[in-house]
Amino acid sequence: MTTPFSAALGAELTKLRRSLSWSVVVLLPVVVVLAGSFTTVVSGQQLADGWHTLWLRSVVFYGLLPLPLGLGILASLAWRPEHRGGSWNALMSSPVPSLYVVLAKTLVVALLGAVMQLVLLVTVVLTGKLLFGLAGMLPGRYLVITVLLVVAVLPVAGVQSALSMAVRSFATPVAVALVGAGTAAVLLAAELGGVVLVLPWAVTARATQLATGTFGDSGELTAGGAAAVVVAGALLTLLAVALATRYLERRDVHT
Amino acid sequence: MDTVTTTGLTKSYGRQVVVQGLDLRVPEGCVYGFLGPNGSGKSTTMKMLLSLVRPTAGEVLVLGEPMNRSTRRRQLARIGSLIESPPGYGHLTGGENLRLVQRSLGLDEAQVDRAVRSVRLEEQLDKKVAHYSLGMKQRLGIAMALAREPRLLVLDEPTNGLDPAGIEEIRELLRRLAGRGVTVMVSSHLLGEVDKAADVFGILSAGRLLFQGSREQLFAAAVPDLLIDTSDPHRARAVLDDRVAARVDGGSLRIPGIDDQGTARVVADLVGAGAPVYGVRREEQSLEDVFMDLTRGGRL
Ligand SMILES: Nc1ncnc2c1ncn2[C@@H]1O[C@H](COP(=O)(O)OP(=O)(O)OP(=O)(O)O)[C@@H](O)[C@H]1O
Ligand SMILES: [Mg+2]
Repeated sequence: MTTPFSAALGAELTKLRRSLSWSVVVLLPVVVVLAGSFTTVVSGQQLADGWHTLWLRSVVFYGLLPLPLGLGILASLAWRPEHRGGSWNALMSSPVPSLYVVLAKTLVVALLGAVMQLVLLVTVVLTGKLLFGLAGMLPGRYLVITVLLVVAVLPVAGVQSALSMAVRSFATPVAVALVGAGTAAVLLAAELGGVVLVLPWAVTARATQLATGTFGDSGELTAGGAAAVVVAGALLTLLAVALATRYLERRDVHT
Repeated sequence: MDTVTTTGLTKSYGRQVVVQGLDLRVPEGCVYGFLGPNGSGKSTTMKMLLSLVRPTAGEVLVLGEPMNRSTRRRQLARIGSLIESPPGYGHLTGGENLRLVQRSLGLDEAQVDRAVRSVRLEEQLDKKVAHYSLGMKQRLGIAMALAREPRLLVLDEPTNGLDPAGIEEIRELLRRLAGRGVTVMVSSHLLGEVDKAADVFGILSAGRLLFQGSREQLFAAAVPDLLIDTSDPHRARAVLDDRVAARVDGGSLRIPGIDDQGTARVVADLVGAGAPVYGVRREEQSLEDVFMDLTRGGRL
């Protein structure tokens, strides 16, 4: 059955046709994983601690910079067609509620982010097996973290989508993503504890660090650690969506 | 019943008042020609009718209900619109764009097909909109507005970029829609474009409504120039001296903006002074002249 919301979501998916987004989703994780292992492979060395080292090198760095940057680019790409021609007029003179407009865009950006996590996971597994000939499989806890990451991209998707909605410029929201990611990295390195999770980019980064023992992580995947990421992510996403909807309801369209 | 009613509709940007105290009445089932030169506030007014822009003061009633930020999404289901540049995502084909509209408004295939046929875009649906000509984009925009089978259609300069045959087609389409009971409000800075299609006119100049009413009322509102045929127009002008603003125009004397009593006085003076008068008439005016007259002088 189609509800007005599922229709809005379907419309957003249709807009992804022939979009550059798909190249970002595929290329970014592949390049990051391969770059992380490049020197090791070339020098013929082995990974000190097998799968764990591979994950650490690929995913932790990915969460600090490429992931928030990628989400920023995906959000700007998703909003770009709306800033052209008479699109804003058309979007705001349709009966689709502002909340659905905001929510559908956020979910589409998050969905692209989720696909990016999948590509990342597959690339890590293939690299481990084919390039390093690692024994066994990627430990199960990393699969759980991949699922957590899908949730953790939501707040960044929400904030970046809100920014790209409000600002016509493609680059400005991406620059904000860089600054946000940098700030999050510094705060996480300072090991301040849970408070850093008020920053959306810190939630995503923290999720990639779970069970790695980096940035003050205990090295174990704990229910508390996972719950903090999920709860902070959900709250920040709601806040971003609510503020973006309010903004859309109030502002005038000038094209 | 009027489909659109506004009271004291006003929009200011900073100190600049761009639309001032409009009381629009758009009767149901008519084609309302909304005319005015560039920058007179047509688009701003239409945006306020759709709540795309919030009025600084005044109110809008559409189909008997207030149109504002809390009611707009409900109201918009029965209003089709095309404001300023045409919509349509360039990276999608015309057909994909229409399916987007169909999906998000919950329309059926037949409604979209009818809209496409009425703007004759059937052959172009597989082309990317980025590769459309301006006229094709405009047609797609109109089809997107029509697909929801609106009670009110608000079109801002829809004939922009269309060739003469295209303009004629749109005119006929607007007439047909009005015939079916749809209220159509269409703006233009060229009277000639909507002249034949519109039953009611609203004329805007510098944000103020100079005139609103039927074609007959519009003709009546503008006093055409008086032409006095005389064998010696220069002498006749000398007789009238500076009392009226008369000027020689070929073999006649042309006097603008003069009423019937003034005409009687002028003729009496001329005859009294012995100037040979053999014809007194009002100039035939086209609607275009009336429009130019109204908007240039800003009078009425
Ligand atoms: N966002 C804005 N900020 C400041 N001034 C604005 C804004 N939008 C419109 N204006 C001003 O309002 C006036 C009316 O503009 P509007 O676009 O409504 O005119 P128009 O009648 O549609 O003209 P055109 O025939 O050129 O389309 C113009 O002087 C314009 O500069
Ligand atoms: Mg305009």
